[in-house]
Amino acid sequence: MGWIEVHTENYFQDGGPQLRALERARALYPLSLHGVGLGLGSTAPLDREHLRRVKRAIDRFEPALVSEHACWGQSGGEHFNDLLPLPQTEEALRHLASRVREVQDVLGRQILVENLSSYLAFTSSQLTEWEFLSALVEESGCGLLLDVNNIFVNSVNLGIDPHKFIAGVPQHAVQEMHLAGHLRKQVGQRVLLIDDHGSAVCPDVWRLFETALRRLGPVPTLIEWDTDVPALDVLVAEAALADQYLERARELAA
Amino acid sequence: MNSPPEPTHLAQLQARLAAALRSPGHDRATADPALIAGIVDDGLDPAARLNLYRNNTRAMFVGALARSFPVIVRRVGDGYFHRLAAEYRDAHPSRSGDLHWIGENFPAWLTVRLAGTQYAWLADLARLEWACEEVLVAADVPAISIEALGVVAPEALPEVRLQLQPALRCVSSRYPVWSVWRANQPDQPGEAIAADRGAEHVVITRTDDRPVLHLRPEAEVQFVAALSAGAGLQDALESSSLPVEDLPLALAWLFQNGLVVALEAPVPGEKE
Repeated sequence: MGWIEVHTENYFQDGGPQLRALERARALYPLSLHGVGLGLGSTAPLDREHLRRVKRAIDRFEPALVSEHACWGQSGGEHFNDLLPLPQTEEALRHLASRVREVQDVLGRQILVENLSSYLAFTSSQLTEWEFLSALVEESGCGLLLDVNNIFVNSVNLGIDPHKFIAGVPQHAVQEMHLAGHLRKQVGQRVLLIDDHGSAVCPDVWRLFETALRRLGPVPTLIEWDTDVPALDVLVAEAALADQYLERARELAA
Repeated sequence: MNSPPEPTHLAQLQARLAAALRSPGHDRATADPALIAGIVDDGLDPAARLNLYRNNTRAMFVGALARSFPVIVRRVGDGYFHRLAAEYRDAHPSRSGDLHWIGENFPAWLTVRLAGTQYAWLADLARLEWACEEVLVAADVPAISIEALGVVAPEALPEVRLQLQPALRCVSSRYPVWSVWRANQPDQPGEAIAADRGAEHVVITRTDDRPVLHLRPEAEVQFVAALSAGAGLQDALESSSLPVEDLPLALAWLFQNGLVVALEAPVPGEKE
């Protein structure tokens, strides 16, 4: 195991056992702090207290990477504690880019922004998802966290072309990748994929990962398996499999 | 008749989606037509797509609440807990991007919701479980030893304030909440405890990895609660029913358990 990633919000405490556990792990491994609650794309004002706690976690744990999502999460004072999709419009792009700049200013560092898995698309979208993310990188100076499973999920749920997605993101902006399992759910006459992080990475996603590695090189990659967590050896074997793909990519890059 | 404009404006779109997420569920007929018109229809009903998000956000909320109140879930069962959680969410939707705070208002809400029913005791159990949650995330502060009291002039002792650990809570209940909590830990069979078994009073602290519930006499818990709220020794004694002869033992218990972190004595000569 090369490094670990945790949800930033799980380490917002003032003290206690959970913080100490991460301190022990951090002493042994490089760390990535992955936020799920900032709602960068919400039009409601940025939650300053939330951001202050992200900053405190960064100061405490000195992570190598800090990331969040290209999503929104609150409206009218209510938080939905979910990663809600943005339309890929010029307006949403300007808004998200200005929020990312604001966050990066407060944190004093670059953040990575992750592509979402979505269950719906908006008719108002003017850009593809990869055009939207490329423009976000351009306008905010953020990096990207490319979730390969989310790309596959969206290819089934929204009919996007996963290969065009991977070919369309700015190569040097991608500093981390995610792999995960998903759930197949029958909705009406269709099957939708639910990004539940509850099973092994499927063969289609491994193949897409290989494509991504060919284009982007051996980018640090994380297995997200946080529901129905299996025995540790199953998890470690899944991470080892990802490492084999990365090793091959390193040989190709050499 | 004018049809509503297509929600291209980001704030308007988010407000409409938020309203859809709060609503009890949709089909094509009941959903917001402007929102539905703004979602790509590729043969799968946009209302069904919306429902996925609606169900997901609700499941997130209920799941987070259940993780904060595992004993309540075990006592009332998943079905009833889900109904309570849905009602509670209507009254107290999440106000934070950090899910851990969802249960903050649950004990007070349950107190009102279950008043006068045979389940009224659950509100006290909820207070106990939330106290455990708070204790687990409170700051780590080094304790001071009882010798610190020795340097205080005897005449200043009544005014002394003891600052207690941030990771300390007091819960007093007419019901046997400590017994119920203990009987329903994951490694216990979950034996039923009669709610009329009698009052229990608990001081909650923590070890390195879990909350610790100390069952203490009522007067002592009142005394600790008063100290915790900032009262001086004499005021804390007077506001509790702790007999003065029990004071040394109560103080010794606090110090021995590492629960005192600072001591404020009045400066001599400044006493009014």
